[in-house]
Amino acid sequence: MSEETIYQRLENNGVSRRDFLKLCGTLAGAMGLAVPPLEASGLPDHLLTENKTIHKIARALETKARVPVIWLEFQDCAGCSEALTRSQSPTLIDLVLNTISVEYHETLTAAAGHQTEENKQNIMQQYAGQYVLVVEGSIPMALGGAYCTIGGRSAIEILEEAAAGAAAIISTGNCAAFGGLPKADPNPTDAKGVWELITDKPVVNIPGCPAIPEVFTGTLAHFVIFGALPELDDLNRPVTFYGKTIHDRCLRRPFYEAGKFANSFDDEGAKQGWCLYKLGCKGPTTYNACASIKWDAGLSFPVQSGHPCLGCSEPDFWDGGGFYQGQSAPLNRPAATVVGAAVGAGAVVGAAMAANNAAQKKRAVQASEE
Amino acid sequence: MNWTTFLQFTRGPLFQASLLIFVGGMAYRLVRVVLLGWKGDKAPAKGSKLAGVVKTYLKGFLIFPFVPWVKRTFNRNPIIYLAGGLFHLGLFSAIILGTPHMLVWKSLLGFGWPTLPLPIVDWLSAASIAAMIALLFYRRTNPVLKLISGPAEWLNWLLVFLPMVTGYIMTHHLFFQYEVLFSLHMLSVDVLLIWIPLSRISHFMFYFFSRTIHGVEFGKRGVTP
Repeated sequence: MSEETIYQRLENNGVSRRDFLKLCGTLAGAMGLAVPPLEASGLPDHLLTENKTIHKIARALETKARVPVIWLEFQDCAGCSEALTRSQSPTLIDLVLNTISVEYHETLTAAAGHQTEENKQNIMQQYAGQYVLVVEGSIPMALGGAYCTIGGRSAIEILEEAAAGAAAIISTGNCAAFGGLPKADPNPTDAKGVWELITDKPVVNIPGCPAIPEVFTGTLAHFVIFGALPELDDLNRPVTFYGKTIHDRCLRRPFYEAGKFANSFDDEGAKQGWCLYKLGCKGPTTYNACASIKWDAGLSFPVQSGHPCLGCSEPDFWDGGGFYQGQSAPLNRPAATVVGAAVGAGAVVGAAMAANNAAQKKRAVQASEE
Repeated sequence: MNWTTFLQFTRGPLFQASLLIFVGGMAYRLVRVVLLGWKGDKAPAKGSKLAGVVKTYLKGFLIFPFVPWVKRTFNRNPIIYLAGGLFHLGLFSAIILGTPHMLVWKSLLGFGWPTLPLPIVDWLSAASIAAMIALLFYRRTNPVLKLISGPAEWLNWLLVFLPMVTGYIMTHHLFFQYEVLFSLHMLSVDVLLIWIPLSRISHFMFYFFSRTIHGVEFGKRGVTP
């Protein structure tokens, strides 16, 4: 990796100044920035005097070198990587790929085996304390981590080694953030999210199944440009993207208010685009940017396409009740036998008390007669 | 523990436990009352007992409550009548005909039914909450009610009021994040479910027994109101 600045690199690749500024604008939009928290960014003073956000971004890119990224995959499906590479926002992705330097990524790296591992070791030494560690997939802790090993080393070992020298860690997808599918009941591998295991480094969670590419790149861009992580919520998710629920921004919201619901996937309500709450939509408790950023270059998102939100950016969403069961419904339905046992127990205790009272009464009557 | 996991607890294990305590507790109460027994009826009936029961339900439960001027309660005490009536109407509209609650029934019973649009349930719930506040005020000021109200009565009011007010705020997405109020709503419902068998709120079940027995008595004597 060279030490040239991001702008120099883009310029060498034939990107004009005009295109460069356009990309800065795109980035500002992607980060959801109106007035960025510049004071917390650690930028030099002369940059803080700039008024326009886009100029601040431009200056940052002109003066900073690319940030090395190490991307680890554990118990995952590579879906987050897939989503990122197939993002329909090529300008944004191009820019982010130009502003970062992915040094290690098991799915994307052309090289393989010991060479790649050796390269990773070198990068970790050369850029100790500077690189961003991206984690995709959960970490199994059962059987000493034996459920996921790479080159004979367990996931937790690899994670701890890479985390030690990282400037920041980004957990992409629900698995890396909160354990995801591998953690679903009964969680045979004792899967955990990164932030449960690494507590001495800043960890940003970008949950989703998969994570929205623009949310991931926007967060990464924030780190690259401002040298600091964006504002996070109590689940370590960037507030810019996870500050509102799907329900808050849903295009079907007016139908919810009006009490117009689809009752099945092919009834008149579904055809009319009515609210999917009765079909199990988890939108009211799901914080993510799907309803505003959407997918495939803003084309659509699940609720718009007629499918209820599954709540994939929330912890334990696999165990959060049936996907097609209304959200207000209790998580589990007590078995009929258990309910019967409760009724039976109540009835038996009641009958015993009544019998005892009757006997007492009888004795009292006898006593008074004697 | 964050609000999401707390919500899972109040919607999951705690709700199940409360539901079982509620069901078992009501079975206990019912058996206790039924086994008190009643004296054999040796007098010949003047009228039909069944007709008495049907009439008393029609008039006392389904028609008269909505025709206030025939009710003595209304003439004697309109506040109790209107506030009490609105409270019960709003409460049961929300619990049975509100969409989120119907889905609860559906998950428990296995079948659902059509529901009312949100704005209608919403206004009825608001009226219900206002009625509860009026009733509390009345209970705090009326000397007779003050005299017969102990801790259990105030607790009854509070434990019914909490689910209603948290549910209302939650539906409107006011003040707090949705899952915070959802959790508090579920927590208050869970507590209420445990409290009902221990309290006079169990009148929701015994009301039907007392009305039936009254109907039998009226019918037997041929004096159906």
